[in-house]
Amino acid sequence: MPRQIQLVILCEDQQQAVFARHYFIQRGIHPRKIRVNINPGGQGSAEQYVREQYLREVIAYRSRSSHLAIALAVLIDADNYSVEQRMKQLTKVLEDNSQRPRQNNERIALFVPKRNIETWIHYLRDTAVDEESDYPKLVRTGDCKPDVIRLVTEICPVGLPEDAPPSLQVACDELSRIMP
Amino acid sequence: MLQRIFIDNFRQLVNFEITLERINLFLGYNGTGKSTVFDVLKKIQQFARGDSANTLFHINDLTRWQKSLIQYFELVIGGNGGIYHYELAIEFDKVKRTAQVHHERLSFDGKKLFEFDQSEEQGQFYGDDQSAKEWVMPFVSFQSVLPIVSRIQQNNTHVQWFVKQLSRFIVTQINPGIMLKSSDKEASQLSATADNFVSWYRYISQNQKAVFSITTALQEIWDGFEYFRFVEAGESRWLVLSFFMQDGSSIDYAFDELSDGQRALIVLYALLHFAASENCILCIDEPENYLALSEIQPWLLSLYDFCNDNKLQSLIISHHPEFINHLAASGGYWFDCQQNGPVRVSRIGSNGDVGISMSELVARGWIHA
Repeated sequence: MPRQIQLVILCEDQQQAVFARHYFIQRGIHPRKIRVNINPGGQGSAEQYVREQYLREVIAYRSRSSHLAIALAVLIDADNYSVEQRMKQLTKVLEDNSQRPRQNNERIALFVPKRNIETWIHYLRDTAVDEESDYPKLVRTGDCKPDVIRLVTEICPVGLPEDAPPSLQVACDELSRIMP
Repeated sequence: MLQRIFIDNFRQLVNFEITLERINLFLGYNGTGKSTVFDVLKKIQQFARGDSANTLFHINDLTRWQKSLIQYFELVIGGNGGIYHYELAIEFDKVKRTAQVHHERLSFDGKKLFEFDQSEEQGQFYGDDQSAKEWVMPFVSFQSVLPIVSRIQQNNTHVQWFVKQLSRFIVTQINPGIMLKSSDKEASQLSATADNFVSWYRYISQNQKAVFSITTALQEIWDGFEYFRFVEAGESRWLVLSFFMQDGSSIDYAFDELSDGQRALIVLYALLHFAASENCILCIDEPENYLALSEIQPWLLSLYDFCNDNKLQSLIISHHPEFINHLAASGGYWFDCQQNGPVRVSRIGSNGDVGISMSELVARGWIHA
């Protein structure tokens, strides 16, 4: 993993931003090399913002990826959709705008927590979770940092347990696109 | 943590009240009182340190359309295991154009720590356990009771904590163009324009942990930057930055040889890391000024992280889209005043508009439309 990679995190809200940014910092990407593109409205139509920005970010990535060490991490909650449906929605955004689907050699990773990022956080806190329930938000977004550290230092090195949320399993596979 | 500010009869702030979070972004049109709140915090800090009411408070700062000659200020600060409530009232003499203390009180979890009332011309100190009930003499009604009371050694940890906490307010609007290149002596407080940065940096250099963090942060920004050092020049000291060259040699730049943007960056990272190491309340007016666009988000995210980790509290005034889009939905306050009337402040929530960013809503004046 080249340490000098520049990573763009496209996400819906502060909780996703803090989780993802802290994860990648723990994995060795320098904070100054991470640029966060967050839904500027805070909440509300956040997933729509991510879908709209996804097209722009992919085009920007493709125009520079041949000569710059860059990567794109996209976070979008599955909400009531399946992970696969959310990914297809993003693929359709590209297709509708004459962009080819993600290629295997592109450092573009899609992270789709189901039902949302809180599901992953509560799982990392040893709570028995399912992907249908809506788990409570954290008091402070930064409260997830110990959970992220645990993910990086204890869980990732030995692989996810079988009882991990399926959307987190998919995320691990996606991660290899930008951090092989 | 500073939880609440109340200000009455000060410029356009009338019965003005704001409750605060760990990270706070003040937004609003020009002239809607955002910087005025910072002015008040700075004045209270200086007053509590011993500066005279006549130096700090001016009759021209009374609200123009009010008849009362008394200004009221209140701070609610959480910490030391409880909640402090500080009240200060300044009364003006219209003829002599002077200012003096009308009353000054401090309580902790609802129990009085001290109170002064002008009619008594003395202050009464109660102590941590409420048993002291000492008269504090002599008393000058142009100055705060706090510096006097805080010297009492027995039964007085609560007041001493409060005084220490007020010293942790850092209120500034960085103006690198007027920063002095040298320092005659250490300064424990950064000035309102940060022009005494070099003297303040001398002071904070005693905090090795902060200096290490500041240096490391700047090493990540500037290739080859090694460290800060002070060079004696007569009775003054110059701040110098050392860079190493590829051939192994070193090259020095005096602080005043740097660009405005570089000096602003140094001050911003110094403020951030010092504030985090001392759990300060950091109030910065337009921190993005002078910075390259690529430098704004890294600093902003570092600030957000420190606030989120409870290492500091920040109050930021900014008109920059990076700040607005990042912070407005979670920690934004909209300042407004109608037709030269009093300032009103309200929390900003998520906008619900599809495709229109917070900064664009602010630019259009649609934040509460």
